[in-house]
Amino acid sequence: MEATVVLVDNSEMTRNGDYAPTRFQAQADAVNLLAGAKTQHHPENTVGVLTMAGKTPQVLVTPTPDLGKVLNAMQDMKIEGDVNLATSVQIAQLALKHRQNKNQRQRIVIFVGSPIAEDKDALVKIAKKLKKNNVAVDVVSFGSEEANSDRLEAFHAAVNSNDNSHLVTVPPGTILSDMLFGTPIFMEEGAGGGGGGGEEGGAPAPRSNVVDGFDYGELGVDPTLDPELALALRVSMEEERARQAAATAAADQQGGGEATPAAGAAAVEAATPVAAAGGGEAEGMAIDAMDDDMLLQQALALSMQVEQEEMQEGGAAETPEPQQPPKDEEAK
Amino acid sequence: MAAADLNELIEWPALECLNQQPGHTVQNALKQGYREDDGLFLESDTDEQLLIHIPFNTACKLSGLVIKSTKTDQAPKKVKLFVNRPTIGFSEAADSAGVQELELSEEDVEGKQLQLKLVKFSKVNVLTLFVESNQGDEDTTVIQKLAVFGSGGDTFNVAQIKDVSKEEG
Repeated sequence: MEATVVLVDNSEMTRNGDYAPTRFQAQADAVNLLAGAKTQHHPENTVGVLTMAGKTPQVLVTPTPDLGKVLNAMQDMKIEGDVNLATSVQIAQLALKHRQNKNQRQRIVIFVGSPIAEDKDALVKIAKKLKKNNVAVDVVSFGSEEANSDRLEAFHAAVNSNDNSHLVTVPPGTILSDMLFGTPIFMEEGAGGGGGGGEEGGAPAPRSNVVDGFDYGELGVDPTLDPELALALRVSMEEERARQAAATAAADQQGGGEATPAAGAAAVEAATPVAAAGGGEAEGMAIDAMDDDMLLQQALALSMQVEQEEMQEGGAAETPEPQQPPKDEEAK
Repeated sequence: MAAADLNELIEWPALECLNQQPGHTVQNALKQGYREDDGLFLESDTDEQLLIHIPFNTACKLSGLVIKSTKTDQAPKKVKLFVNRPTIGFSEAADSAGVQELELSEEDVEGKQLQLKLVKFSKVNVLTLFVESNQGDEDTTVIQKLAVFGSGGDTFNVAQIKDVSKEEG
């Protein structure tokens, strides 16, 4: 359980396009994903955002469990001025100190996208103060990696306590978010193993990490605080896993039309003929493997077919497959 | 009420110690069994200062404190005590006067019980110990045992509630 303050580099240097489309935009995407991952990992995790550049560093969002607030604040961020790292870290430390839930651990994530003004000794001094106050720090270095590298390494060595802090350098030309996804910055302890599998877009990935996290992290803590919640979460996660396993098995047979509900929704627009074919087959299969998950998929398939018919009746004569009418009658 | 060791009244999940080394945590100094073992101790990390917040389950009256350290040079010297300020940090602790300040001699750190001004410690929910310096001005401070003595708050024994209506009826 953690309170995180993300320090964002909104200096003029971030206009640079060496990360697509600009350093600033790539950074914003990464921060949004990071905030999402943190809030998904534990219901009581809080995330706050602070801009480092401009006249003074400014707290855009105080640590909150509400992802929506964070995303909204990121939209309103402007590029201006130069980064003031020392002051920003001090403000972040204050924000963490006054967090509402004292049981949360304290973490600062710093995105450095421009040359740092402070010298090595000043940074080490700041790092020591953070370590003394039990604050872990993750640093993402992009943009001016070479100029900043030994200062940031000294900073990281001084603040690191028992491997709780990380320094990640992202080379130009890559996608910032993708490079961060596999690093310990996105995943908390206990969830490292599950990072590789199941990364179908932002939302499912953190959850499959958490499955391992449940066994080590959350199940370790929850039974003492809230055993019923821990059990309920674990059961629902296992059901989800079983459902996805059944879904991928079904998808192989159906020809990939409706692997998951998400994929099924997309199929309405793109592969309507395939969806119809898949729907017809699903009918036959349903008799063999009748369980809740399959029924759900069936219902989705049927509703999609109904949508298709409406589209066709509406005059969308772009899918002139003669097979359609007989199959629709079959489904009915 | 007689002064008792308030170990059972400590709220363990909320116990916090800043600037402790990962292998040498405050549990070693406070927990029953651990603290009797001189091999298990609390040691500071980045510098010689330590800030320990000890929360209690109930408001307590404190009468005495035991700080034991066999490593004489690294034993605490100046200790400031704060009451009910669980968010105090190193800088404020250094700047404020503290409810009571103790300057420990070498005898004191052998495990002698140090007297606390009872009046000032009459309703303590969180006791904060700020170890400002150590005996030999070493880089780190070591504490083998920490114990707090006093009496727990007025506990209400629910079993003693008598149902008056039943007695009459």
